[in-house]
Amino acid sequence: MSAVASVQKSPFSRQLSKFTRNRAAVAGAVIVGLFVALAIFAPLIAPYDPFQTSFTTVRKPPSVRFWLGTDELGRDIFSRMIYGARASLMAGGVSVVIAVIVGVPFGLLAGYFGGWIDSIISRLIDAMLAIPFLILAISLAAFLGASLTNAMIAIGLSAAPIFARLTRGQVLSVKAEEYVEAAHVIGLRHTRIILHYILPNSIPPVIVQATLTIAAAIIAEASLSFLGLGQQPPNPSWGSMLNTAKNFISQAPWMSLWPGAAIFLAVLGFNLLGDGLRDAIDPREY
Amino acid sequence: MTPPILSVTRLRTSFHNDGIWTPVVRDISFDVAPKTTVAIVGESGSGKSMTALSIMRLLPGGNSKVEGRIALAGRSLLDLPEKEMRSVRGNEIAMIFQEPMTSLNPSLTIGFQIVEALICHRNMSRAEAEAEVIRLLERVRIPSAKARFNDYPHRLSGGMRQRVMIAMALACKPKLLIADEPTTALDVTIQAQILELIRDLQEEEGMAVLFITHDMGVVAEIADRTIVMLRGDLVESGDTADIFNNPQHVYTRSLLSAVPKLGSMTGKARPLRFPVVDQKTGIAAEPPAGFDTISIARPILEVKNLTKYFDIRKGVLRGLAGRVHAVENISFSIHRGETLALVGESGCGKSTTGRSIVRLTEPTSGSIQLAGEDILNTGKSSFRDTRKRMQMIFQDPYASLNPRMRIGESIAEPMIAHATETPKRARERVGELLKSVGLSAEIYDRYPHEFSGGQRQRICIARALSLGPELIVADEAVSALDVSIKAQVINLMLDLQERLKLAFLFISHDMAVVERISHRVAVMYLGEIVEIGSRASVFGNPQHPYTKRLLSAVPIPDPGLRVSKKRLVNDELKSPIRALDYQVPVRPFKQVGPNHMVQEWGAEWA
Repeated sequence: MSAVASVQKSPFSRQLSKFTRNRAAVAGAVIVGLFVALAIFAPLIAPYDPFQTSFTTVRKPPSVRFWLGTDELGRDIFSRMIYGARASLMAGGVSVVIAVIVGVPFGLLAGYFGGWIDSIISRLIDAMLAIPFLILAISLAAFLGASLTNAMIAIGLSAAPIFARLTRGQVLSVKAEEYVEAAHVIGLRHTRIILHYILPNSIPPVIVQATLTIAAAIIAEASLSFLGLGQQPPNPSWGSMLNTAKNFISQAPWMSLWPGAAIFLAVLGFNLLGDGLRDAIDPREY
Repeated sequence: MTPPILSVTRLRTSFHNDGIWTPVVRDISFDVAPKTTVAIVGESGSGKSMTALSIMRLLPGGNSKVEGRIALAGRSLLDLPEKEMRSVRGNEIAMIFQEPMTSLNPSLTIGFQIVEALICHRNMSRAEAEAEVIRLLERVRIPSAKARFNDYPHRLSGGMRQRVMIAMALACKPKLLIADEPTTALDVTIQAQILELIRDLQEEEGMAVLFITHDMGVVAEIADRTIVMLRGDLVESGDTADIFNNPQHVYTRSLLSAVPKLGSMTGKARPLRFPVVDQKTGIAAEPPAGFDTISIARPILEVKNLTKYFDIRKGVLRGLAGRVHAVENISFSIHRGETLALVGESGCGKSTTGRSIVRLTEPTSGSIQLAGEDILNTGKSSFRDTRKRMQMIFQDPYASLNPRMRIGESIAEPMIAHATETPKRARERVGELLKSVGLSAEIYDRYPHEFSGGQRQRICIARALSLGPELIVADEAVSALDVSIKAQVINLMLDLQERLKLAFLFISHDMAVVERISHRVAVMYLGEIVEIGSRASVFGNPQHPYTKRLLSAVPIPDPGLRVSKKRLVNDELKSPIRALDYQVPVRPFKQVGPNHMVQEWGAEWA
């Protein structure tokens, strides 16, 4: 209805106001913001040194002194959780960045050039998507060797095909737009058309997918660390904390409760944020 | 005097936006008497569609409100509970929409969709309903209605789908039919058929029609009374003949003077600008006569035997199943400073021709020469240079600018890509170009969404001019614009032609605009040029039966001429899809006058 949209707002400011009207999305953004702040200011917030072991305080339940209790080596769980947020959020963020950097160019090439290039890339994507995400990440991590860096690379590569396929689809629809045809008629080179015309107009859904994939990557990192393929002791991450906690689940249930809750909350936050972003950039609804 | 079917009093529709209520329809009042057609005419943003949606109460609940009084046969619609309103919709007021392609469910047969409406609204048994549907399909003149009953929507053309929509609207014998731009998306010949159908059905059924349109020609064809709207206000209403013969409001006058009239160019040798109406006095200034722009040297563009087939592939192995003969062996040329119009209906291959010339699609065979240089056989790098000499303007001004680029950058882009200017010089050039298309140089840093359709089309023209081209392919460049904006953009194109000796290939389906702007005209039908010649002789002395049909279908913005129009044949454009072994028949051309060629036609036109 052109008459309704008579107030010509820029797409961005319209999306922003749509996003802020969505309470769940704002809640997601707040949760994510809190976790990010925890991770950044960890040394300022954590009451204890997360590596400080003590035989006098082994497996203490939550108390005034240790808010969330202590673990099997007497370390403060609250402090370890805060430092663990660094590993988990970094694993989530870095692996998604890897996934985007690897996936998006393939999607751009496949969608833009089509033909045999598209056939090869698309079959590759299909083949990778045929293997479940987590299983692919675990086998890659096992192959690369156990460390947080390798876990991030493994998760990133496993998530890349999702981005390649999403980008390809976007490119196919953007490619048919008249302004892209106009760019051809002007005589622009392919690289310029791809970088200045196709990419900026294909990227919004990719950003949404990235937010949702951060949630999946946090779970994946936790799973890898739980299996001993991610963060190595004594460095904390929510997944590795769960891994050690599983041995004491009946004696010290709080050891597994808190990291589990943190994973749950962070994943919820990223999912709400991603859903909100997706609704906000969808031009079909207000 | 009989009481009106629909009576609208002080209707005000507002939308909630950023905490304030903005009215989009301001206190308009009108009546629709039984058995009459009232047209609401206005340009985009005038609130005409909002008026229709307000009457139907189809506006979204939360952020819109409708005030005033809307009475259908004395019953106030705004006070009805939603449940009763639902039975009013469809039963008493029916509505047809602009897009026949998307308003039918693609996964159900057309017969089933109308039967559903009948069973739901008129409590018929299925057998009764099916018999009634076939009767209805016949009523809307769908050929072999019985056989069409089990067809899915994709098997039907746009015109046929609009007929199905009308049949569905008529199913419950409504008292009032609201038609929101029902013919805008259709070809002229189909539009004429649908208008005639609505007129006939109105006489037979005795219903009232509220017809919403932007096209003054359509208004003159169909309406008894006319309401002119401008930015939410009713500016003038009255008898259609009075409005056309003696418009009172300045806006109505400028609207009417911007309407292209077929036949208004008789006796004039060169293209003519539209008259410009002074917004204060309402007096239309006579446009200055155009100069002779054509140079008789070698043509800038020569197209010979251009052919483009699209393969249709089917099955798992993607075997070749047939070909679309989009462009079939066409030849023409354009001189410097000349406008050749390529006219025809959708699917006739006119856009494919334009796209082949700028090489957005690769033609199957034939040759295209730009100033003597064969552009189909040049290598990639030298073709990039050739691009500077020809540019294209597209149909949809909302889609042809990159939404994430400042418009100044968009215009400077070609100059920087071809390194014809340094980035600093390019910025100055952009300012000059913006001025030459009637915009201010200040807008360099703004984004496309901040501009209206007409302004965007000017920006696109500025971009096309930035490399100093000699030929511009304008593919339906003014079709998406409002009448008054359309006139301004055409005047601009004529100005530029005079100043820069531009040659235009003007691709359009709008015969009245074509008559105004072109020196020569080529009529395309099913991929072939069936008639080509000077504008005066093609419009003044059309030879090919298709040209005649096309011209007779154009609505004439003069209500006095309505009765004298002859009945139209009820058929469809044929399909250019051919079997693999199809032999293209050889159809020779014959000369009917100086510069006027017509293809010999076969028995199918007899």
